[in-house]
Amino acid sequence: MSNFRIFAPLAIVMYIIVPFLFSGNDYLMGMIATALIIAGIALAWALLGNLGGMVSFGHAAFFGVGAYTSAVLTMDYNVPVFLAMIIAGFGASLASVFMMPALRLHGPYFALAILAYAHIFMILATEMTSITGGAAGLLSIPNLPVFMGFDFGTKLGGYIVILNIVSLALVVYHLIRRSTYGLALKAMHDSELATRIVGVPATQLKAIMLVVSAFITGCVGAFNAHFINFLDPEYAFSGEWTVIPIVAAIFGGYRTLSGPVLGALFIYLADQLVFKSLLPQGHQLILGALLGGMILLSPSGLLPIITNMFKRFSKKGDAQHVES
Amino acid sequence: MLELTLQAIYTGLLSGGFYALVAVGLALIFGTMKVINLAHGELVLLAAYVAYATESKLGLNPLLALPIAMAVVVSAALLTYFLTNHIKKDRELNSLILTFGLGIILTNSLLMVFSANIYSTSTEWFFEGVVIGDTLFSMRSELLAFVVGVLSLGGLYWWLNHTWHGRAIRAVSSNLDAAKLMGMNPKQAEMWSWGVAGILATLAGCMLYTTSVIHPPIGHGLTIKAFIITVLAGMGSIPGVLVGAFLIAIIESLTATFFQSSLSELASMGIFLVVLIVLPSGLFGNKRIH
Repeated sequence: MSNFRIFAPLAIVMYIIVPFLFSGNDYLMGMIATALIIAGIALAWALLGNLGGMVSFGHAAFFGVGAYTSAVLTMDYNVPVFLAMIIAGFGASLASVFMMPALRLHGPYFALAILAYAHIFMILATEMTSITGGAAGLLSIPNLPVFMGFDFGTKLGGYIVILNIVSLALVVYHLIRRSTYGLALKAMHDSELATRIVGVPATQLKAIMLVVSAFITGCVGAFNAHFINFLDPEYAFSGEWTVIPIVAAIFGGYRTLSGPVLGALFIYLADQLVFKSLLPQGHQLILGALLGGMILLSPSGLLPIITNMFKRFSKKGDAQHVES
Repeated sequence: MLELTLQAIYTGLLSGGFYALVAVGLALIFGTMKVINLAHGELVLLAAYVAYATESKLGLNPLLALPIAMAVVVSAALLTYFLTNHIKKDRELNSLILTFGLGIILTNSLLMVFSANIYSTSTEWFFEGVVIGDTLFSMRSELLAFVVGVLSLGGLYWWLNHTWHGRAIRAVSSNLDAAKLMGMNPKQAEMWSWGVAGILATLAGCMLYTTSVIHPPIGHGLTIKAFIITVLAGMGSIPGVLVGAFLIAIIESLTATFFQSSLSELASMGIFLVVLIVLPSGLFGNKRIH
């Protein structure tokens, strides 16, 4: 119910009002699309954090692997763009399989092992010059195609594609959370030992969450490659693809479904439109401060506080109604 | 070929002393509080920038910046400690995100104050060559960093074993509840470990500035390296940190000499992952990580 209350208006705003108001403004559409890219990663990050109980500092690795997979497939093997984007998701999942030994590690160890993996992937992308073009990068990556008479290569088209990716990711997240697996994962969060004892294959479930999270991030990375038509290792594996989604997910509340998405829209747009003009150099300072502040003051995010306030408010309203 | 190998090992050994100095502060706090300070590399870099400012603005030898840098970095470390202490629940994971955020704040503050330019020391004394046994070459600053690193680790080892505060830190890290029952104040021990980590970061920062170049983004890389060495060492083992640092640095130096310098980081990351998976409690750890 509460999900529906948030997502119905959100869907209307994103699918109808935003394109209707801003479709003429390429700059703004591009920016909102990029905010949705961040939202996709933030969602994948939160899925791993909330359901799998794992903090990752290495989502840039999945993003970069997805971006390169799709770019190389479309440029060298003439794979259709949309198909390549899906394969890119599998590519990122494959990369996550290589990370699985790290699942034996707990808490901070896992978080930092993933960081090391991300570093390795960036070095590999720089060194494997024959495939990735090395540090010089890949230029003129094909645009999103014309499909069923609609040109997805425009900013508006790109926006619709990424919006659909994020919506699909939300649906997948929701379905996992509602399933038996979701329940087992939730129990695992309370006590992994107890859950293992009743026969839940905890490590397997965590591994599945890692693969799903990587898949989403990989697709988003692939979308970005076709959206901006350029890649180099520094950019594709940039720490920013990890930092901003984490700030967004924490800010919005990474235990909720809508938190990461709303957080990403708010954080990215505020960063680009407000923080950057306030502090042209070092605007990420504010992101760091927001991150630290949220962890200290409200680790479950801003959104839960707002919904709580809203609930309290509406309860008060109900009470008055009964009295009168 | 032999000469080349020996030189590579020698260079690696020297930078290993420096790596150990960077890593040991992180290892100390991790040992006492199970908190990984992801802003540790940024603290080191902060000290390096204080040294730069002292040299460029006051015209002093960067080593004379030590007292000022120490005051700045130790206060920053203590501030980090107080903030970490305010985390309400799930400190192990939330402190990661908090210190990650603090690292971003520090990096961007440095970027704002000092711009993205690359700086290195202009005091020529540091660049002069030192030749040992006719073949092994290094810069004075590299040798200095090695000596400072090894001496600091030795000093820390002594301090942890022979002074009251040092012993208190070890007591708190090995069994918090028992230490409390003995009338120890764990907060005080934790504060000491952060303060000492700040001092070690200051030393590391000044050595960083004299041996190498600094610019804002490198703090993050220093943290990663420090963490890798801490994991290799095993929890809270000071000799382990030294061995882990030598191992990483020598492997990097050999890779750079015989393959490519761009692959050296790949080699050290590879070693790290292998150790993490094969020996999760590190080379010198005695406890299993769970």
